[in-house]
Amino acid sequence: MLVERIILKNWRNFKHVDVEVVERIFLVGPNASGKSNFLDVFRFLRDIAKPGGGLQKAVIDRGGISKIRCLAARKYPDIEIEIHMSDDSETKWQYAIGIKQESRGYRNALLVYEKVVKNGELILNRPDEDDNNDELRLTQTYIEQIIANQPFRDIQKFFGAIGYLHLVPQLVKNPYAFKGQGLDDDPFGLSFLDKVAKTHERLRNSKLKKIEAVLRLAIPQLKRLSFQMDDTGFPHLQALYEHWRPTGAYQQEDQFSDGTLRIIGLMWVLLEGDSLLLLEEPELSLNAGIVEKLPGLIFRIISSKKKNRQIMLSTHSSDLLSDPGIGGEEILLLSTSRDGTEIRVASSILDVKELLSQGFSVGDAVLPRVNPRGLFHLDELSLFEGEE
Amino acid sequence: MIPINIACEDPLSEAVALKILKEGQRVFTVGAVYRKNGKTYLKQKVNGFNKASRGMPYLFLVDLDNDGCPPELINSWMGDQTKNPNFIFRVAVEEIEAWILADIENFSSFIGVNTALIPSESDTIHNPKEFLINLVKSSSKREIKASIIPSKNSTAKVGPNYNGKLIEFVNTRWSLTVAQRRSKSLGKTINAINSFTYQSAATNE
Repeated sequence: MLVERIILKNWRNFKHVDVEVVERIFLVGPNASGKSNFLDVFRFLRDIAKPGGGLQKAVIDRGGISKIRCLAARKYPDIEIEIHMSDDSETKWQYAIGIKQESRGYRNALLVYEKVVKNGELILNRPDEDDNNDELRLTQTYIEQIIANQPFRDIQKFFGAIGYLHLVPQLVKNPYAFKGQGLDDDPFGLSFLDKVAKTHERLRNSKLKKIEAVLRLAIPQLKRLSFQMDDTGFPHLQALYEHWRPTGAYQQEDQFSDGTLRIIGLMWVLLEGDSLLLLEEPELSLNAGIVEKLPGLIFRIISSKKKNRQIMLSTHSSDLLSDPGIGGEEILLLSTSRDGTEIRVASSILDVKELLSQGFSVGDAVLPRVNPRGLFHLDELSLFEGEE
Repeated sequence: MIPINIACEDPLSEAVALKILKEGQRVFTVGAVYRKNGKTYLKQKVNGFNKASRGMPYLFLVDLDNDGCPPELINSWMGDQTKNPNFIFRVAVEEIEAWILADIENFSSFIGVNTALIPSESDTIHNPKEFLINLVKSSSKREIKASIIPSKNSTAKVGPNYNGKLIEFVNTRWSLTVAQRRSKSLGKTINAINSFTYQSAATNE
């Protein structure tokens, strides 16, 4: 299943968005323009559709409707999400929901509508008569209910399997320092090692072998990557590093560099699953030489799968965007205004398109546009009292 | 309001370009600034920017350095392609620093040196960046010296806040009216911008 078009109203810092997307998407924009908020639409849908999820939980986990609703919104306080998709058998799907807050009582999130369109035919249209007789029904979507979602279970499966990882190396190295309630789906890799441990041995070994192959190129002294349970039953990754001792020496994940762990995490999620994958700044902690190769590597991994897999990633890296194989149609450019953030496909902007047609890489053509004008005054800014 | 993009060498020339556009007789809105610290990038991309200016004007600002005179540099860079009317190709003689030094009174008071130390025709200064750094050495202001002059054993050619300090000067003190009287290449650039007429993509094929 591939997402083809995204329409949002009043979602976080987007008052209105309507963009078409392709298989590989790079989100580019200034700090605090909403790259993560855009990706969060898909995490939200996943939180609704996944087992144990649901609309109420997805809203509460985000701090309630008031935190999700766009600050720039005035007249239309309903939050609306509409996703157009197509699957491998060319079936076209549309899923759309509108959400508002209950005006009294528990202030639950309420559905304003929930619609499913399959090949142009409206197969779900809520609120229906039953909903009108019993408003409580509108606190749940049909997509979260096995009994109700049978005609469009493909969408539920797709949403429920959306992947996201923004691995924070320090969490993997010192998980016990951060153990708390933890977050659903472990977005930051706190239980990354548990996930590796729970993967079936054969699959795990085959994945680690592929990751090792990449690591060996990126880190010349690294020779072998393997998985180990220690005597107390805790999972560990270990790598053999070559040095002057003839046998080399083993190191465990708490001694791995941040970059090593980021590569491992990135490769792991790329090799896992075939639903939409969301990545935040995959360039972090990596040296420019590797970053440059990421778009190609990502393409190779996702296209080697049987099914097409879609990737959306946010980035600030000109190295990553220097790859000549990235097209302007793959770049979503976020720009902020007083009325919230706008999203445009880079190749739809006239002067970007001109530069691209003159052989500029997307990084060269697009990144200068996202530098905030205000930075120009950073040099005049007096940061310290009494500075002359 | 004329939309325009800038292509230039470094943050300092960006600040200068923005100031010139802001204080000129036309109202410009700057879209994007294209730069990658240095001349090589501009030289590689000059064709691209020239062609792209069919849709959107570009102010293309480059230092002359040791490349003869401005027309020579422009001719050798443009080769046999025709300059688009929306492509404003300007050259600072020899470097953008000369334009800054041209506001003798304000700059000497900013760095704390005697006005007599700065030549009155700033386009004649050879190697203006080096000249400027040497000038600051006789400054009475500790903080200015620390920002602009590279520390003794450093491999850096300029001080740790060289661009920052000079940009601060450009934004807050630099007078274009004064400076253009003492730098011909700056005066010509300001004229070119004031007399610029935008040809929109529809009329410009």
